[in-house]
Amino acid sequence: MLSSAENGDGSKLLSNGYRYMVQQRRRIGFAGCPPEEVLAPLREQTLIDLDNVIEGVTLRSESALPRTTCRIIQRILDNALALDLDEIVIDVGSGKCDAARGLADVLDGMLRIPVTRTQNDNRVGAGTPISDSGLPVARKLVLILDGLVRPQRLALEPDPNPPAAIWGVPAADFSIYDLFPDGSQVLGWTRCLENRTPADWEMEVSVPDGRPTVFFAQTFCPKNVTAQHLARKHNGLYVDADGVLSQSVKAKIEAFLYFRGARR
Amino acid sequence: MGVLGDFGTTWTKLLNTQSGDRRVLRTKDAKGLVADVATGHNARRRAPRHVNELIALAHGGQRLIDEREFLLLDVGSRDVKYVHMRGCELLAMDWTSTCGALTGFTLELLGSYYGLDYSAIEPSEKSVPVTCGVLGMEQLFELVSQGVSEVEAVARFARGIALNAHRFAGEPKRLYLSGGMCENQLFLHSFPRGVDVTPLGQFVLVEGLIGELEKTAGR
Repeated sequence: MLSSAENGDGSKLLSNGYRYMVQQRRRIGFAGCPPEEVLAPLREQTLIDLDNVIEGVTLRSESALPRTTCRIIQRILDNALALDLDEIVIDVGSGKCDAARGLADVLDGMLRIPVTRTQNDNRVGAGTPISDSGLPVARKLVLILDGLVRPQRLALEPDPNPPAAIWGVPAADFSIYDLFPDGSQVLGWTRCLENRTPADWEMEVSVPDGRPTVFFAQTFCPKNVTAQHLARKHNGLYVDADGVLSQSVKAKIEAFLYFRGARR
Repeated sequence: MGVLGDFGTTWTKLLNTQSGDRRVLRTKDAKGLVADVATGHNARRRAPRHVNELIALAHGGQRLIDEREFLLLDVGSRDVKYVHMRGCELLAMDWTSTCGALTGFTLELLGSYYGLDYSAIEPSEKSVPVTCGVLGMEQLFELVSQGVSEVEAVARFARGIALNAHRFAGEPKRLYLSGGMCENQLFLHSFPRGVDVTPLGQFVLVEGLIGELEKTAGR
């Protein structure tokens, strides 16, 4: 069998003296929750979740998008413009909003790479062990989001008595999650994301009775309507934030959890 | 026993629970001052124990108001917040630092600029739509340029703040008021007719820290 050695120029030198160019892994950015059958083969490439904060990315979306665009859509565009990608896969199914569908067209117009649109209507749940576990909420979110790139295989026990819950989409400012006691349940679209059923409306609006729940939506996100409606229905707290959480929003969440006896 | 502090945007309120001494000083003059328990916009790094302002407001109300159910509105120099309590249950609350931004601060500023005695100004029937202090001030100067007297323009501005704060709190028929605006007679009389406003003064949040101090001492 031939042995090989890496060269600095991206080629491999085989023991028989021939040099072969190594196939570079393609850089593929994705947004939302594309179907598993689309994501799975892409994991052999370098897969980047464009919804997440990526260090060093400069903000250029402001001039390209209306000011009433939510931070997550802005972030997807900022990341897409900065990362020198080979392809973008963006879910535009009923689990996403019109802004995401519009953004797919914006990306198509601004970048010279393929923009693949998917429709994730999956209803076969992968389960929600992370959302229901006793872990700190910020850790849960990291695991759920990382799970799209690297599927998690953790043996997690559900918290038998979650002290509180947070409903919504993953927040642009993760400091919101530090306000919750460990084991607080993750509900809403984030839960659907872990379950790989982003268009499962029934799961998204399902809220356990009697659990102190904060209903969060990104400012300018259409989910604000549902967040406020559910907060009224379930005697919870509705908050919205545009990017970084203000002190007043943090104080409202703290006070709500305090007076509802949710601090452990 | 110890020192409790509400380190607000403009004013710092201090209570020494041992001597009973109460002090109000400008926050800019309170540099380096520390307390045992603190609340307020500038409270972090001022005390080993920090209590969030909404919690301090609710606890202050529980100490000072002899009713099981109350709505307590705090109009500060930077923001507006309220809690609606029934016993230990929080029925509603909110805190805005955008729509009510800098309204109290602006009223104070206008008072010193025009040299006004707010206790001598009659409330106005009209109001300036005050969404934030800066925008409100722009409208106020517009009125002055149209020939409205400074006193009337400021009275409309005060009424605008009162209406805005009342709406923000859910338009209650009866409310308790906290914060520096309690001492502003013009503001107190600018709420809609029929609304029962009881001013509690500037020390409501500080009073709300007493329980936390006692808890800390018991540890």
